[in-house]
Amino acid sequence: MAASGSGGGSSRADNGYGSQQPRRRKGPGALATAYLVIYNVVMTAGWLVIAVGLVRAYLAKGSYHSLYYSIEKPLKFFQTGALLEILHCAFGIVPSSVVLTAFQVMSRVFLTWAVTHSVKEVQTEDSVLLFVVAWTITEIIRYSFYTFSLLNHLPYLIKWARYTLFIILYPMGVSGELLTIYAALPFVRQSGLYSISLPNKYNFSFDYYTFLILVMISYIPIFPQLYFHMLHQRRKVLSHTEEHKKSE
Amino acid sequence: VEPNATIREIRLMFHKLYPRWYPARQSIKLDPKGKSLRDEEILQHLPVGTTATLYFKDLGPQIGWTTVFLIEYTGPLFIYFLFYFRMPFVYGLDERFTSSPHPVVNLACICHSFHYIKRLIETVFVHRFSHGTMPLRNIVKNCLYYWGFAAWLAYYINHPLYTPPSYGKKQINFAVIMFLLCEAGNFSIHVALSDLRRNGSKTRKIPYPTKNPFTWLFLFVSCPNYTYEVGTWISFTIMTQCVPVGLFTLLCFIQMTIWAKDKHCTYLREFKDYPSLRMPIIPFLL
Repeated sequence: MAASGSGGGSSRADNGYGSQQPRRRKGPGALATAYLVIYNVVMTAGWLVIAVGLVRAYLAKGSYHSLYYSIEKPLKFFQTGALLEILHCAFGIVPSSVVLTAFQVMSRVFLTWAVTHSVKEVQTEDSVLLFVVAWTITEIIRYSFYTFSLLNHLPYLIKWARYTLFIILYPMGVSGELLTIYAALPFVRQSGLYSISLPNKYNFSFDYYTFLILVMISYIPIFPQLYFHMLHQRRKVLSHTEEHKKSE
Repeated sequence: VEPNATIREIRLMFHKLYPRWYPARQSIKLDPKGKSLRDEEILQHLPVGTTATLYFKDLGPQIGWTTVFLIEYTGPLFIYFLFYFRMPFVYGLDERFTSSPHPVVNLACICHSFHYIKRLIETVFVHRFSHGTMPLRNIVKNCLYYWGFAAWLAYYINHPLYTPPSYGKKQINFAVIMFLLCEAGNFSIHVALSDLRRNGSKTRKIPYPTKNPFTWLFLFVSCPNYTYEVGTWISFTIMTQCVPVGLFTLLCFIQMTIWAKDKHCTYLREFKDYPSLRMPIIPFLL
């Protein structure tokens, strides 16, 4: 029953399709743009550091096992830094939905801290490498995409990469994440990590083991939706560019 | 169509042509992006020329507000009983049909049931809704929320391993008094709001304090019914000292604050002389 209330409508005539709402927001101001460029450049650099760290560790060790330790700190730092993106949406300097962004960032942070960091025994699992690699490549492309977009000079290659590589990277990351959570389960059960049982004076109980299982199950409805949304976006964005090119 | 036809009559005519779209499901507008027209509006009073173009939008299957509330509130009432009486499938066969040694658990059951019975009575006899219906899919969402939370908090309160409040009788008695006061307050506000629409009109009026002291909260707050409701749940949290109840209280508070702010903004927009001292839900603060 809530009326959306605030704000007058835009005076711009709609083209009749009723597709998007007429854009009322003016976009971030100059200061906000400068800040966002710096933010995205720093994040791109950070994930590049992680990428380089992975490669160097691989070359030094000669195997791809247990590479987590060589990039543990920058991974934690830069992935946690992404929490700022929620604030960007909340303050309106980025036009994305706060809820959606919060959801995505929190799921990453959850995996980084509440699973990989907290359950030390999974840190040697190969599944960790699987999602770290997927995240690293995705984030490097994504942050450079934002950087170039803000500077209004987006190379087609970056746009293509962002909307194409996810086809492999997304399932790869999800697999790594699920396998890692699954690997953590027995250790959580054994140690009673983050769990509280009755009786206690707050009359509350929480079983982290069951919670993790529910998290895994939640991937089933959520992942296909996000994946097909990205595929849909891909068709829209890449075909739009081609039409643009043809008409020139 | 006659120039002095009301939108309600147009809706009925439309329904005859398209039986599928009953009047409550039709959204009729002058402009595709505009607001829906009300039933009472008369065609010739609207800004149209000799011919009017009206836009129709299907709002989807609708369900009456009264029906919705009845379903939403009956659920928690009976679900709580499943846990209070310790049905075998809840706490295991060993604990089936046993009762708790703690008096506060009985008290909590009485209070919880009282709250929902009161809500049911209000739905039938007191509330006057400005819109007749809401979309059908809302009911699934709402029921999941109300019923789910009722089950979750009832589980802990009636659990064999329940721990009574740390400050004992003092805490419980304080909570009961607060509970009763807030319930009385909430009821008073509902009656006061209902009296504003005594003649069946659907227009909004500014609510004012009456002789009933509980309504004096109108001096400070636009939606004292929400204020009292939050108070009820806070008292229930204190009474049971149970984290899930606290979480439910928090979520209720957030949701009601959103509703209160909306209502407050609507009041401010519609009435130029709206009392400036009033805040949406918490005096002076929020």
